Amino acid sequence: MLSRLALRSEIFRAPLCTSVRCAQTKPAVVSTNESIIVPGFPKPNGQPQPNPFDGPERDLVNFPRPTRLEFPSKTRYLFVPEEWFEFFYKKTGVTGPYVFAAGITTYVLSKEIWVVDHEFPYVLATIGLFYFGWKKFSKPLATYLDKEIDDYEAECNTSRQHELESLKETIESQKKEVWRTEAQKHIFQAKRENIAIQLEAVYRENAIQVYNQVKKRLDYQLELANLKRTVQQRHMVNWIIENVLKSLTNEQEKQSFKRCMVDLQALAAANKA
Amino acid sequence: MAIGDYPAEYNPKVHGPYDPARFYGTPDTPFSQLKLGEVSEWINRRNKSPKAIAGLFSRAYWRWSHKYVQPKRATVAPLIHIVTGSMLFFYVINYGKIVRHRNYKYH
Repeated sequence: MLSRLALRSEIFRAPLCTSVRCAQTKPAVVSTNESIIVPGFPKPNGQPQPNPFDGPERDLVNFPRPTRLEFPSKTRYLFVPEEWFEFFYKKTGVTGPYVFAAGITTYVLSKEIWVVDHEFPYVLATIGLFYFGWKKFSKPLATYLDKEIDDYEAECNTSRQHELESLKETIESQKKEVWRTEAQKHIFQAKRENIAIQLEAVYRENAIQVYNQVKKRLDYQLELANLKRTVQQRHMVNWIIENVLKSLTNEQEKQSFKRCMVDLQALAAANKA
Repeated sequence: MAIGDYPAEYNPKVHGPYDPARFYGTPDTPFSQLKLGEVSEWINRRNKSPKAIAGLFSRAYWRWSHKYVQPKRATVAPLIHIVTGSMLFFYVINYGKIVRHRNYKYH
């Protein structure tokens, strides 16, 4: 109810009816950026809204943002504020507040300001009920409620946590991708080396081909020269022999034959000895 | 300024989100730090308009609420406060009738 009342306040008032007729059936879409100031809520024109509490004039030292307490203020006997005991402790010590309470009670009972009438036992009954409830149900109820509130809070935070986790995962995968991209450098180098090796192989192949071709031609030339020389030699030998044979007479032949025989005999004699 | 509006001193640009438990005016010396002679003067300085008094009770309620009711792991204390408070309140408003049940004439 109070929040509804707060909506009537000046800063939340939407200037919907400033420049347009209010008799329109459709709601007017304002063109300015000052319509509904709710941080994080999208505007009719789709522009992001400035947070009215984050201006340069904001005094965070004297007026910090109010935070919800986790635990309530300390109490004794379930409900008496601890501060009251502290107030007495400075002046009267530990027993002071008890003496004060007992004194006040004695006084009001004795003067019958607190009249012991038929409704007096209800006070004792109430105290007894709270004492009994505290003894019997405090621990399990407290654990149950703590669990409930923790579960509820966890449930409220789930979507946010999921989003955070997914963003973290995205960052991790991006980092991994960056790390993987670094491997591309090595891959490029390997590819370059591979191409260099291929080029080298082709070069060597070409070189060996050139060598082989040149060797083949040179071998051919050599072969040709050798053949030429052999043919010439053979021809010359044949020709010489032919001519020598042609020039030889029968006399000469006989003489040489005899000569040979003599030589052979000489050789045989030499071998015998 | 109509009913339900923020106090005139509250400026969202300086003070941030509105906290109903907080006094946004210029703070005076706290009552607990006064000397006995200064008390009457201090009371004379107070704004005693109905709006200011309503604001005083509203702030007191919200302070109590923030302290005992709103915390995450609240205890049974606020319930006992309400029970005790209502017992005292109804005792006081019915005191005129209860007095007739006194057992002794002289105290």
